[in-house]
Amino acid sequence: MRTRSGRLARGSLLRRVPAVVLALALAACGSGADPGSGPGSGGAGSGGAGRAAGKVTLRLAWWGSDSRHAYTQKIIDLFEAKHPDIVVDPDYGNFDDYWNKLATGIAGGNAPDVLQQDTKYLRDYAERGAMADLSPYLGKEIAVADLDPVVATSGRVGDKTYGLPTGVNAYAVVADPAAFAAARVPLPDDATWTWERFTSVAASITKGSPKGVYGVQDPGPVDITLEVFAGQRGERLFTPDGRPGLSKATLTAYYTMLAGLVASGAEPPPSVSVEIAPAGVDRSLVATGQGAMAMFWTNQLGALAKAAGKELTLLRLPGDSPTSGTYYKPAMFWSVNARTAHPRESAMLLDFLLNDPEAARLTLSDRGLPANLVRRKAVVGSLGTADQVAARFLEKLRPTIGATPALPPKGSGKISGTVVKKTNEQILFKRLTPEQAADTFLRQAASALKR
Amino acid sequence: MPATPAVPEASRPLLSPVVRVRRRRRREGEQGGEGLVAAFFLAPWFVGLFLITAGPIAASAYLSLTDFALIDAPEWIGLDNYREMWGDPRFWAALKATTLYVVVSVPLQLAFALALAVVLDRGLRGLWIYRSVFYLPSLLGGSVAIAVLWRQMFGTYGLVNRLLGLLGWDSPPGWVSTPEYALWTLVLLHVWTFGSPMVIFLAGLRQIPRMYYEAASVDGAGRVRRFFWITLPLLTPIIFFNLVLQVINSFQSFTQAFVISGGTGGPVDSTLFYTLYLYQRGFGELEMGYASAMAWVLLLVVGLVTGLNFLASRWWVFYGDE
Repeated sequence: MRTRSGRLARGSLLRRVPAVVLALALAACGSGADPGSGPGSGGAGSGGAGRAAGKVTLRLAWWGSDSRHAYTQKIIDLFEAKHPDIVVDPDYGNFDDYWNKLATGIAGGNAPDVLQQDTKYLRDYAERGAMADLSPYLGKEIAVADLDPVVATSGRVGDKTYGLPTGVNAYAVVADPAAFAAARVPLPDDATWTWERFTSVAASITKGSPKGVYGVQDPGPVDITLEVFAGQRGERLFTPDGRPGLSKATLTAYYTMLAGLVASGAEPPPSVSVEIAPAGVDRSLVATGQGAMAMFWTNQLGALAKAAGKELTLLRLPGDSPTSGTYYKPAMFWSVNARTAHPRESAMLLDFLLNDPEAARLTLSDRGLPANLVRRKAVVGSLGTADQVAARFLEKLRPTIGATPALPPKGSGKISGTVVKKTNEQILFKRLTPEQAADTFLRQAASALKR
Repeated sequence: MPATPAVPEASRPLLSPVVRVRRRRRREGEQGGEGLVAAFFLAPWFVGLFLITAGPIAASAYLSLTDFALIDAPEWIGLDNYREMWGDPRFWAALKATTLYVVVSVPLQLAFALALAVVLDRGLRGLWIYRSVFYLPSLLGGSVAIAVLWRQMFGTYGLVNRLLGLLGWDSPPGWVSTPEYALWTLVLLHVWTFGSPMVIFLAGLRQIPRMYYEAASVDGAGRVRRFFWITLPLLTPIIFFNLVLQVINSFQSFTQAFVISGGTGGPVDSTLFYTLYLYQRGFGELEMGYASAMAWVLLLVVGLVTGLNFLASRWWVFYGDE
């Protein structure tokens, strides 16, 4: 009896095997075929269920600080309320992880539909066919008439538009007046200060402050410091035709300045700098009250002030020449995945993010002072203190502003990312002299752009 | 020859034809059935191998010969990736950091695991509690949470430095962020996850016949002598097994270094584990072709080291029946 039932069970099991295998195979085929048919949106795969309810699901991705995550979610809620047939899934993280995830997502066919882009990567993604050309939607789903002409076409590559600028910003020194006062160091005149003066101001803050508070956060890991420094000498990281644009003299001077910040005690010990470098706005020295100055984009002032819990102010970057080297940067772009299953809805979401008055009121100047000039005017009045400061600062810069650098070439991300960061670490820990660092930089930049 | 070959020739006349037939059928049924059942239970593994693992492995072999940016189509470049690797200082830095990590942390971890196993083997009361407690780090050690904790503990303003401050060390360095020390915090983390080799050692210790120890005691051998002359030699196969496993595992370490260095492998590439560099090139810099080539080189390196391990084992591993 026992054997019989055993055999029966086995028999039925065996009979089921082909079915199980078939099911597995189908499941595998299904997931394999999915990226081809409905990439980009999480909901596209479950098209059956989604369509039955008449809903389109989009995924919106961005990088940023905690406060950005919170208000962007509110914007999503507003958009969903206005478009009951569209669901928007948020997808966010910090800057570095964002790009790893995006590249993987695009390769795997499940990248977000609408996404934040940066000048650093837009051309790379566009030239590789990963971003959608938005030209067909301009003036229709996406209103562009009110965009600031300084940056309106900054997302163009050739005659196609791959991104629309969210706003403008500029690189600046964020300063904490309270920390200056506590160290009994007066705020410098930022119209005339040189890099040398900058270093000595920061060093005297370190000296005048309690232990563990420093003059300035290491500005070395960010390529923009170098871009501005070079701009003051009439150079750019990349020439308009996409070749390395820095001279050895400029690089040597730059790394001499960075080494001076370490040696003079203007900035924290290297190990502290290394610990906070990847931590972003929320753990920067000015946010945690451990430093008097740090270099950031003007649009980050709001988040920094919020994290610091006090008022912060903006200073122009130091310079040795009358040329400021500073420029208006398209703060970031909104782009659409080239393989989205819902390009029209994506364009609608992009337009909402760019032009909706409510969205603008929530964003304020966190994604740059709004590129939409009508919104900018409306928003400036209702800006919080920090954003007011940023807006006024941008106006103050206008007479000294240089031309915005062209979108950097394919492969440039490696230079502005890895090469800049690694060379800086070697300066911090004194593994290279400034001159050797300049040579290393040039060699690596050349090989990165060769590909 | 259709008859049942398994039945001995001599016994055959004793079986009636009916019995013979029935037996044959059952045998066939069972064999066929067992084969199928075995296949059924192996199927998930095979499905996994062919659908999930084999495809990507084959693909990576191809991709290693291409320039592949992940967001567009791969472009054939022959052996260029391998050539570039030869002249890439960060590749060598990564290989060096990883090798140093393996060479130091694996023996330390095994020694620690063995020592604890020997202590725990004394038939303590509540042994299972100790065993579980000591095994816990092995379950946790590879996790992101522990790596984050490690980074906090060994940071400039971390718990460890506060304790050192209390002990009078004025401003101790940030252990995870100073090039000279960063790798050692990772070694420490690895040693701390001694649980799995410890459990294997415990099992091994149980297999050593008591009579050897009794005989040795009668001959007047002390505890230390018994350990070095009986326990250690008889345990060499287990040590070897653990060694091979841990070496292979350690070469592939990723999470800890990734979290502790914030994904950079820094400071100054001191914690740039091989797989971390591979990840940076593949996903950070969109050079999946180069990353694939690195993966194949890692396979070669690990294969080579494991081969050497087996060769060397002839000289020091003692199997009881030799």
